[in-house]
Amino acid sequence: METVVDKDVLKSSGAELLPDGRRGLRIHDWEIETLRGTILTSLAVEEWEKKLKTSHLPEMVFGENALVLKHLGSNTKIHFNAFDALAGWKQEGLPPVEVPAAAQWKFRSKPSQQVILDYDYTFTTPYCGSEVVEKDKETVEAKANPKGEATLQWENCEDQIDLAALSLKEPILFYDEVVLYEDELADNGVSLLTVKVRVMPSSWFLLLRFWLRVDGVLMRLRETRMHYRFGEDEAPTVLRENCWREATFQSLSAKGYPVDLAVWSDPSSISQRLPVIKHTTQKLKIPSKV
Amino acid sequence: MSDLDKQIEQLKRCEALKESEVKALCLKAMEILVEESNVQRVDAPVTICGDIHGQFYDMKELFKVGGDCPKTNYLFLGDFVDRGFYSVETFLLLLALKVRYPDRITLIRGNHESRQITQVYGFYDECLRKYGSVNVWRYCTDIFDYLSLSALVENKIFCVHGGLSPAIMTLDQIRAIDRKQEVPHDGAMCDLLWSDPEDIVDGWGLSPRGAGFLFGGSVVTSFNHSNNIDYICRAHQLVMEGYKWMFNSQIVTVWSAPNYCYRCGNVAAILELDENLNKEFRVFDAAPQESRGALAKKPAPDYFL
Repeated sequence: METVVDKDVLKSSGAELLPDGRRGLRIHDWEIETLRGTILTSLAVEEWEKKLKTSHLPEMVFGENALVLKHLGSNTKIHFNAFDALAGWKQEGLPPVEVPAAAQWKFRSKPSQQVILDYDYTFTTPYCGSEVVEKDKETVEAKANPKGEATLQWENCEDQIDLAALSLKEPILFYDEVVLYEDELADNGVSLLTVKVRVMPSSWFLLLRFWLRVDGVLMRLRETRMHYRFGEDEAPTVLRENCWREATFQSLSAKGYPVDLAVWSDPSSISQRLPVIKHTTQKLKIPSKV
Repeated sequence: MSDLDKQIEQLKRCEALKESEVKALCLKAMEILVEESNVQRVDAPVTICGDIHGQFYDMKELFKVGGDCPKTNYLFLGDFVDRGFYSVETFLLLLALKVRYPDRITLIRGNHESRQITQVYGFYDECLRKYGSVNVWRYCTDIFDYLSLSALVENKIFCVHGGLSPAIMTLDQIRAIDRKQEVPHDGAMCDLLWSDPEDIVDGWGLSPRGAGFLFGGSVVTSFNHSNNIDYICRAHQLVMEGYKWMFNSQIVTVWSAPNYCYRCGNVAAILELDENLNKEFRVFDAAPQESRGALAKKPAPDYFL
């Protein structure tokens, strides 16, 4: 739920809330909106399984939830949704992680005709957002441009997201967080993909976070941050930082950290304790008007 | 009005009992539960309910739809606690009803009725927060050990929280389990509370976690045949539509926590069986926002980095 912001602050920032009960706002050349729905119906689950060529999906897939950021001048759309994230999970296809009880289970007598399932039940995804350029209602996938024109291409860069500027307590004109999918790992931890956004008078900032805790085994945090400053109209650029962190409970215990699960429930407060295993910074130049 | 009736009225208003009252209630409940079989016999008509998970105000909706106890005979398939905001009040109300009307409500154990799981998923913290000590959590988890493992409606419908076990061929094998213990990490008792039916296996499947059985259609067919039962009724898995049949109506999942975790938007269901075992699923929504004590959490804007 977005906060109630002072109308004068919105006006002086050149922003207006979206009409008709939609959640979001227009500011400068951007329209930023969050969408929310229920988890998939059983029928939709079957359709998604077919499309994704899998027989397993997270217990809670919020198929209609999304964060959409449209650059109106260029019809560039950056968006976040569960389907694309799960396509990423399917493609990465990590091997499964055994829970602590698995050690004991190896000594159990095996039933006849036992099948061992081996999909990645943690739903770990490398997903860091989707981008398209929309043309006259027909959508052109950014990566599948028939002429091979790299209209939308993330390029590696040395720039860093300006955390100092983001630490300033500018008024937040719009804030929201949506869950894309979630699984309780059959009470063996949590797998959660969410995206949150805040829009200030000077910029927008978002954080897409995949958070995994397999109780007693490992924690994994894959975060994508994007930042865009308003006012750089000649060469509008979105900056993106990907940061992957991962640690086993064993390694944390070796470092002297407590392994009590209650300590490891909030990814924001513990992320610094998890070593970084991958870090990249990229930028996306918004194309000029098409 | 007896003390117990007063306590039930109090719990129906979502007001928790005093610690001393919880202790006394648990002692009385223990005397009743210890006499129950691992396969508790239940007469029809009966209304079968799945997971509740501390969603107290949604359980009140359930009673609105299904009728009050003792007028309606109830069978709850476990997972009373954890996840929701009111595990204490939810479990104590069900337990108080059990003590007051032992023949009109049957409670069997879910995988969340365990010391280990409740320490991770909310019930332990809730007890500590509401009572300032873990005594109530201790009394309740001691009672969990006495809850029956399954129920049998008119000898025809086998009811269990999770599912089947490769170590269990017959109901007599369930009857032989010594249930008065914490839920073990493996073995028959663990499987009954934890396992899931799975479309893509026919016989048995092992979860990719390396622990946890999955069972297919042929396993259910042969279990139902050997034990002369019509179908299995279980809970344990979230279903958007509140209930779901599998394997040609040989097993049904019933889920009774609407808008699970206050955000899934799913409906819930209960299964009403009349005296001739005719089935009717009653589907219901979450309690309206204004009838809840506390509002569901809205994300507060924060200066996340």
